[in-house]
Amino acid sequence: MFYRLAGVHHTRYETARALWPVPADRWQVAIVALLALAAPFFLSSLYLGSYLLPWLIWSAAALSLTLLMGLAGQLHFGFAAVMAIGAYSSIHLARFGVPFELALIGAGLTAAVIGSLFGAAALRVKGLYLVMATLAMQYLVDWVIINVPAISGGAQATLRTPSVSFLFIPLDTLSARYYLALGWVALVAIFFLNVKRTSFGRALVAIRDKDFAAAVIGVDPFRYKLMAFFTSSFMGGVTGAVLAFCYYRAVTPEQFSFNVSIQLVAMVLVGGLGSVIGGFLGAGFVLLVPIILTNLVAGMAAAGWFTVSSNLLAHVPLMIYGALIIGFLLFEPLGLAKIYDNIRKYFLVWPFRHSRS
Amino acid sequence: MKWIRRSVLATALIAGMAATGAATAQEQPIKFGLLQDFTAVYTFVTGEYNQGQRDYLTLINEEGGIDGHKFEAIVRDTGNQPQRGIEAYNRAKEEGAILFDFLSTPVSRALVDSVLQDAVVMITPVHGRGDASDGETFPYVFPMMATYWSQATVLAKYIEDNGGLEGKKIALVHIDSPFGREPIPVLQDLAAEKKFEFQAFAYPSPGNEQSATWTEVRRYRPDHVLIWGAGGGQPVSVREAIRNGIPAENILSVVWLAETDVANVGSDTMKGVKRFEAVSTGTDSPILQRIKEKVVDKGLGAGDAKNVGTSYYNIGVATMAVAVEAARLGLEAEGAPLTGAKLKAGFEKVTNFDAEGLMPPVTITAQDHQGGGAGRVSQWNGEAWEPVSEWGAAYQDIVTKEIQQGAAAFKQGN
Amino acid sequence: MAYFAELVVNGALTGLMYSLAALGFVLIYKSAGVPNLAQGAVVMIAGYVVWLLFSLGLSLFLAVILGAAIMFALGLLTERFLLRRMVGQPVIMIVMLTLGLEILLRGIGPGFLGAAPKSLDLGIGLAPIIIGDVFINRAYLVGGVVAVVMIAAALLFFRTRLGTKLRAVSDDHVSSWAVGISVEKAIGISWGLAGISAVAAGVLWGSVQGVDWTLSTLLFPAVAVVILGGIDSIWGVLIGGLLVGILGSVIPGYLDAVVGGGTRDVVTSLIILLTIMIRPYGIFGREDIERI
Repeated sequence: MFYRLAGVHHTRYETARALWPVPADRWQVAIVALLALAAPFFLSSLYLGSYLLPWLIWSAAALSLTLLMGLAGQLHFGFAAVMAIGAYSSIHLARFGVPFELALIGAGLTAAVIGSLFGAAALRVKGLYLVMATLAMQYLVDWVIINVPAISGGAQATLRTPSVSFLFIPLDTLSARYYLALGWVALVAIFFLNVKRTSFGRALVAIRDKDFAAAVIGVDPFRYKLMAFFTSSFMGGVTGAVLAFCYYRAVTPEQFSFNVSIQLVAMVLVGGLGSVIGGFLGAGFVLLVPIILTNLVAGMAAAGWFTVSSNLLAHVPLMIYGALIIGFLLFEPLGLAKIYDNIRKYFLVWPFRHSRS
Repeated sequence: MKWIRRSVLATALIAGMAATGAATAQEQPIKFGLLQDFTAVYTFVTGEYNQGQRDYLTLINEEGGIDGHKFEAIVRDTGNQPQRGIEAYNRAKEEGAILFDFLSTPVSRALVDSVLQDAVVMITPVHGRGDASDGETFPYVFPMMATYWSQATVLAKYIEDNGGLEGKKIALVHIDSPFGREPIPVLQDLAAEKKFEFQAFAYPSPGNEQSATWTEVRRYRPDHVLIWGAGGGQPVSVREAIRNGIPAENILSVVWLAETDVANVGSDTMKGVKRFEAVSTGTDSPILQRIKEKVVDKGLGAGDAKNVGTSYYNIGVATMAVAVEAARLGLEAEGAPLTGAKLKAGFEKVTNFDAEGLMPPVTITAQDHQGGGAGRVSQWNGEAWEPVSEWGAAYQDIVTKEIQQGAAAFKQGN
Repeated sequence: MAYFAELVVNGALTGLMYSLAALGFVLIYKSAGVPNLAQGAVVMIAGYVVWLLFSLGLSLFLAVILGAAIMFALGLLTERFLLRRMVGQPVIMIVMLTLGLEILLRGIGPGFLGAAPKSLDLGIGLAPIIIGDVFINRAYLVGGVVAVVMIAAALLFFRTRLGTKLRAVSDDHVSSWAVGISVEKAIGISWGLAGISAVAAGVLWGSVQGVDWTLSTLLFPAVAVVILGGIDSIWGVLIGGLLVGILGSVIPGYLDAVVGGGTRDVVTSLIILLTIMIRPYGIFGREDIERI
């Protein structure tokens, strides 16, 4: 009923290979895209600027990371540092007079080059050891940023983004910044949807499943692991620059601390490894749930639903958030993407109960 | 597929609760956004500080408000995360808040530009960037009490008045962060001017282990040690200093040293340690007495009654006292309803305001948003923090130079 | 020279105190193969529990004993209700679960018991032990001794009957089942023991810096200790702790003045990185042999 499969017959390979072979999926994507495009016209600046905009940017970050963690199977606990490199290089480039469009690419390249160094550890170890190695690199990058005033911006360790324009549109208004972020996340999402269907993507999956086995069938793990780190760090670097210019507009080292790396990993895992919709859902969950919980708990306390000390009140959202993460991992280890998939499958055969797939 | 129905129900329930949470207010009180960090780096201060702020606002409301205008505090946790701070700020702004206190460096840094653009007031009492004292560059940012730079100069002045600075060796032992490094330029300038020797020693964040740093400090043989940290690092600093043979009398601390640290170090050990204070401690002042009588005893207090009168609680009270005074002046001069711009004008009219003796007289002008940078030194005497110097500011010329440099750098984009 | 000696001694002692936090990590990893990144938060909770019992009027000794019992039980419960359900999941999922646990514990401890730092006075004198021109920190000395005792106890424990079972479990789950060892019980016990070692770490560090959430940041040096020493080796905890402590004290002792910033985190990070690049399984760790 909702997803009419009857009458959908693929007579050419192109249609069968399409990203969304079922018309209902295409409709959904189109509606979401339209809503996203029209958002500045019907959302208040609060929801546009404090919810939707950061959600989109963090989704791009989560998608960049899930390319590495979900597709290539390389764990990375220092991704915030990669984004920091992108953010700082874009600001310094833009201040140096480089056009913003080029500064974004420069930010991506700098992050990619340094991010590939993180990958050097991946050539030697994997799993838990890779987690620890990337974590250590996060600390090193943080330390360099904080201790080199030329990078961090002097005594106050704050760098404000210069006012720039992207393709002749000045990024002074919230909607301009929103559209840039939207454009970037759309680009990342489309890239991600398609990369799975290229030889590069398949090579990454082969390495994820077993790197020795991949080597046996002729996929060079050395090359592809480095390429995965390079691509992912490039995207992460540009995302960091977008985050700096479109959202924070003043960068400090704390914005890219170790905690942010953990949040990014949580986004990828809660959303569902290697899934595009999971990237969006996971970013939304990790970013917005603490905010919504804080407002909800404060609102409930103000309405007199319960009376507790303000200290406990402030910690309740933290507890719920931690419990939710644990709950998701226990009850749906494949993440929010899997829950979405279950719902979709349910409606695919609705009103019947069981599907064959 | 029962669980789908259940989860749809649950979602509807949560949405419903969110709707009740955002109930609209009938009459419009003056709203202050106290969007602070209750769960991360600043936990050592936020609880007591915020309690003081809310208790003072309750006191004003209990006394009938200002010409009938009541105050409302919007309190949210930001967890020291900029993105949560930005959301909380925008939401509170939409609810009509005109004054913000974030008590978090990353959050206030991320919001300086928004505040300047939206024409709402941000206060950064005893913390926050020192160069925001320049009212012309930061028209809507009010440190309104001694910044870290002024705190360093007040401490230096105390040393000069009690034994002299010339030829002395002063060590600054600080946490390795922008906050910890903030007093260095002021102290270096002062060292050149007053001819004393100065050296800074950093210990790694969060400061729970500092032994290597203090081994080095001891070999420097300082006459006085300034400790510049916060939270758990402070008692460790005091203990390490005493362990390394530095007499307690020669240890001087930034404003972040309070009753919790005394309990931690041990009251006897702490005896003699000095600290900067911007607001007097204890419940002697008239405002605190009234809070006790009209707020706490009536059961309207925002937290544990035993926190009333602690150092951080009183700082919180003083911040709101200045803010309410500014609101009064703003209303008086420009009339209701109060806006961010009118509140700013009110702040710049605050003259010789001392919150009935709770704090040094503050005069805020359009140029000087620090309000003079006065403070005093107090010493732990085994039972309480006893003032050992008079209220006053020191070497503001050097501080002003730093402010101008910082403000110029801000204009360039730092 | 005295400067160097003092840096080495105090560094070694703090390193041993890091070992206390690291010991729990190793105990769990050794038997269950679970990297418990919530161990820092467990140390924090242990500090809070002992502080609570102590402030309720119990003597320090009783508070520590009772605290150890509570933490043992909490360890068992964590294993039973959280980790056991994750058996067979990829390591990243388990890592994330422990991080979720860390967030939960960071909410529960400070939320219910107060976020402002609590003092935990063990009655250790402040005066240093002075040998020549070397000042030895008394609190760290006590901590170091406790750490050595705990590590020795752990080593001896693995020679008992129960400990032998635990070693069998750490060698191979399936074979242990086959010879009638209850793998679940063994893993549960190792979580409980990790809880007990967290009590030692929480109390000693709590007495040094006060009990608050920053105790959970001990995780980072503890990770350096286990990576250097070998992630499944008790001896590694001892040697790794000593090395991390000494290097983290001596190098910043000479370098900080030159660089003008605290370099200890850099040293710790480099220890982790270099160990992983040169000898991933650490000094005493068992090398994994992977089969296709």
